[in-house]
Amino acid sequence: MEVALTSVDIAGAWVSIFLTLCILSFLYADNPIYKLAEHLFIGVSIGISLTETWYGVFRPNLVDKLLAGNLLSIVPLAMCLMLGMKVVGIFAPAAGKKLGWLARIPIAFVVAAYAGVKLTGEANANLMTQVAQSMPDLHTLWIEHGLWDWSADGAGVISGIFLVVGLSACLLHFYFSSPHGPAMRVVSRFGVLVLMLSFGASFGYTVMGRISLAIGRAQELLGLDRSAAQAAQVHPRIASVLSLVVVVLILVIWRLRERRPQAGA
Amino acid sequence: MLRLLQRFQALDRRWVFLGMAISILVPLLYPVSFSFKVDERVRSLYDAVEELPAGSTVLVSADFDPASRPELEPFFRANLDHLFRKDVKVVVLSLWEYAPPLVVPILDEIATRDHKEYGKDYVFLGYKPGKELAIKAIGENIPKTFPTDSRGTPIGQIPIMQGFKQARDFPLLINVSAGFPGTREYVLQIQGQYDLRIASACTAVSAPDYIPFYKAGQLVGLSGGMPGSAQYEKLVYPEGPPAGVRLLGMQAINVLNLGHLYIIGLIVLGNLAFFLTRRVET
Repeated sequence: MEVALTSVDIAGAWVSIFLTLCILSFLYADNPIYKLAEHLFIGVSIGISLTETWYGVFRPNLVDKLLAGNLLSIVPLAMCLMLGMKVVGIFAPAAGKKLGWLARIPIAFVVAAYAGVKLTGEANANLMTQVAQSMPDLHTLWIEHGLWDWSADGAGVISGIFLVVGLSACLLHFYFSSPHGPAMRVVSRFGVLVLMLSFGASFGYTVMGRISLAIGRAQELLGLDRSAAQAAQVHPRIASVLSLVVVVLILVIWRLRERRPQAGA
Repeated sequence: MLRLLQRFQALDRRWVFLGMAISILVPLLYPVSFSFKVDERVRSLYDAVEELPAGSTVLVSADFDPASRPELEPFFRANLDHLFRKDVKVVVLSLWEYAPPLVVPILDEIATRDHKEYGKDYVFLGYKPGKELAIKAIGENIPKTFPTDSRGTPIGQIPIMQGFKQARDFPLLINVSAGFPGTREYVLQIQGQYDLRIASACTAVSAPDYIPFYKAGQLVGLSGGMPGSAQYEKLVYPEGPPAGVRLLGMQAINVLNLGHLYIIGLIVLGNLAFFLTRRVET
């Protein structure tokens, strides 16, 4: 049983379709209707971030605790005020020059704490585990997959050897402590080829991601992201056509105004 | 022919955009169907959910936003439906501030369809700022990190949360990750420390970075981008979608294939034009 959409939901869907086409108009040229949508997007994003930061961070972690008489919360409050000394410099340069150094203390604290949090995770999960996994057990690979297993995305002895040789060649390509001789140049060249392969794979994934986003927008414009019952209430295709007409009209007017010679020119 | 190739090299990029728009809109309006196979990483993710006994509870970290919605929403929907149909309870939280307005309607819609009760079969704990520090806190103490759920109910009064204090109390953590903070941070901060079973659905851009985590056993399954979502939908709904449900991933995968063919065509044509016209010019 489909729930009937409210008029606010329907209006929201129409606004979303109109703004999508406004943003896509940038593909034609940078224009005022695109700028309008862009500014709206930035404003709404900042509004959401500020609201979430106030209700999610400041109020529960600082204000509520201070009001409840938690004296330890004075420490983060003091840090916030010290950090604010950087901002003071914008409005009162003399005071900012005098007190600006205070901001360094909370910044140093945040950097140190963050480095501490990151270091253990990076060392354990990203370095040690990955180094261990870059030395495959060829015997086990042979038993489980043989030379090459199509059903397991090419796992097998060949892939294991390619991993080790490719990784070593990449690392040797970045070995600069001695000049590269003829043999080293061959290895280094192979390392570059492996790097190119990985960049190509990453680029391919990125292109795929961007096309996926375009498909997502197209699904919304055509109403294919909604159930048939919802689409019947929203009429997304009518909204798309009307929005397209409005956007094209605005673009035409904008172009004509641009071509008109300026008064006094 | 050469003149045509020379003109092609000076083609206004807006024609390329128009071509891309056509290659996306036409197959959406007039669907075509290509077959595709499910890769091992997505099958492992599916199997990890299948192995869960009925009545168990999983932790889902929904860390995506409107920008990554087309890639991750199809997975999120199929995954929730998969879990509910297996009678697995779901605790959802988010580390992304833009996620709750997307997550709550989807969660409620699928829970209603599968006749699940809020608080007993599923719960949304809300958004927690702090990025990696929040992940650390989820690993250490969930009730302290989320004292209430998104509706303001104290966590001690929510039936589904009884007996779950840390991330390691859950047999599986599923991270729907659009970037930072996401899968990488979960793996770095708490996977190794608590020996967690984590499965990830990520955007296509992040997939190459996370594949080594899967190969190293730090992830039990990985679904990358829209193809991953489509493959997961194919596994969850082998006989097609239930009545009134649209499988957005499977609908998009065919369009994605045509979009790729269009890009490949342009690359081949561009290179051909470059080399042939250069030879003539020299």
